[in-house]
Amino acid sequence: MSVIAPKFKLSEFIKSLFDNAFWGLLLMVLVGLPAVFMVLFVIEMPVINGELLTPFLALSWIADPSRTLPIVHAFMATDMFRIMAFPGFGFAALLAAGTIFIERKMLAKLQLRVGPFYCGKFEGILQLMGDGLKLISKEIIIPAKADKPIFWAAPVLFVATAAAFVALIPVAPGWVVADVDLGLLAVFAVIGFFPIITILSAWSANSKYPFIGGIRALFQMVSFEIPLILSLLGVVILTGTLNLSEIAASQSSFPWIIFLPVGAIVFFITMLAELERIPFDLPEAESEIVAGWLTEFSGMMYGLVQLGTYLKLYAFAALFVVLFLAGWHGPMVVPPFPAEILTEGIVMGPITAKIPGLPLFTQEMLNGALWFVLKTVGVIFFILLPRGVFPRVRVDLLLSLGWTKLIGLAFVNIFIALGLLYAGVLGPGGLQ
Amino acid sequence: MADATFLALTVITIGSAIAALEMRSLIYGSIALMGTLGGIAGFFLLLDAPFVALFQLAVYVGSIAVLILFTVMLVKRELIFKKIEDKRRKFAGIGLMLVVMISLGAVFLDSGIKTMITDEPPVDFRDIGADFVTYYWPALILMGLILAGTVTGALVLARREDVENDQRAN
Repeated sequence: MSVIAPKFKLSEFIKSLFDNAFWGLLLMVLVGLPAVFMVLFVIEMPVINGELLTPFLALSWIADPSRTLPIVHAFMATDMFRIMAFPGFGFAALLAAGTIFIERKMLAKLQLRVGPFYCGKFEGILQLMGDGLKLISKEIIIPAKADKPIFWAAPVLFVATAAAFVALIPVAPGWVVADVDLGLLAVFAVIGFFPIITILSAWSANSKYPFIGGIRALFQMVSFEIPLILSLLGVVILTGTLNLSEIAASQSSFPWIIFLPVGAIVFFITMLAELERIPFDLPEAESEIVAGWLTEFSGMMYGLVQLGTYLKLYAFAALFVVLFLAGWHGPMVVPPFPAEILTEGIVMGPITAKIPGLPLFTQEMLNGALWFVLKTVGVIFFILLPRGVFPRVRVDLLLSLGWTKLIGLAFVNIFIALGLLYAGVLGPGGLQ
Repeated sequence: MADATFLALTVITIGSAIAALEMRSLIYGSIALMGTLGGIAGFFLLLDAPFVALFQLAVYVGSIAVLILFTVMLVKRELIFKKIEDKRRKFAGIGLMLVVMISLGAVFLDSGIKTMITDEPPVDFRDIGADFVTYYWPALILMGLILAGTVTGALVLARREDVENDQRAN
């Protein structure tokens, strides 16, 4: 007799599995297949190589190994792939998930603890999956007097805004979801949405601690947005463009952090404040106001906010890399794709497999993505590090830091950039 | 395609403007105001002015709407507002708005806007910047001075004598 589920019976469990399979089959036959046929009846299938593309033909093409890679190629060129998988959401969410685990483990090591240990055989590497399962299976509790529409919408909007931010980041040459001509301005516009969502969710919970946290978050984000924008103007002055891909491409010989260290430092500090990371984590100061503006969230709503927070962290780190650390540039370390596979195919004893559609990625793209990820992980490490080192600052110190010192330093940075430009060190006739 | 987008934006902008005026809840009213300002940003995008559109989003939606929201949240509205429900005022307001809109529309349509070439390439924002520092530099300096004066004035107004606090050790 099990302790966890005392009424558990194996026969009932197997019966329920069969039940589910039966109903699934029935629904597929009665609803699914007719729906497919109706769709096929309405949609005109394309003619490829003189053959009508029937579903049978399409399925046999997918199963044909010599056709698979070209189909994958074609799929990778679509916008859907870019948004869902590589430079967009999937890639960023993977890095964000890794960040959560690394943060917990690293913080534990810094404080001479063990950290996640039991979930998964080795050093608790499955902890994140366990946490995710726990969050999904938890009940979503909504406070009785909450403003329900806003309260429901806030986590989703938070993730959506973070994903919009991620979409603007160029990862490798040509690999960006939205190559906007005014990318940096779009970044500023997207950043402006975070305080709105935060304060709305905090207000809608109709609870004391979220509201205090939300107002702190609003103070902090709005007042640090100004030095954030000003600190990036130096890079814009030197490159003469707002397109993030062009800014990254302009640093092929040296990163801008060499010439604009002041701007980089100001941007890094404002980044910590915008992300509510530890010296500036007043909005969710857990020792004062429970969990700040996240207090009333439970279950997967909290999970969504957490995902959005870490997506935002990745996006800010990636923005730092693109603007100051030369983006995807770096020495070529990825070996070229072996040419004999392209010309002769793979020889395995008596069998020679010729695989059309190789290589899947170009050497430049792999190398660029590798360097970009390495640099981004480095910046994320430096964002995580203060959490194990610094205490929380007082709110008046925070605001005076933002409004006086950082804005002043940002102007110093702008004048450095102008000086470099007018002295002819950089810009036309100079180094670049 | 542009027409459908234009119509959708128009519905969003005007609808949320009406909602911003008519909503009982001040918070929802300011959210609707954000919708209006965002819709105007959409119009700028349609007009091939992404620079203005993004600044509209960053400044109006990102800062001014937040300011309004923040103010509304910290205000106990029962104490400062007295509700005046008056049907006649409402209809008079709507009538006045219609008159203003029709007359403005007539002026616009009469001004030769229909003969404008609409498929010209968009103006690069770099050209606008170059114009600002060459031909229009007095206007730029005037704007800069006004803004600097405003900011200084705001700082002077917001300055306060530091409250002496015995408990703070410093």
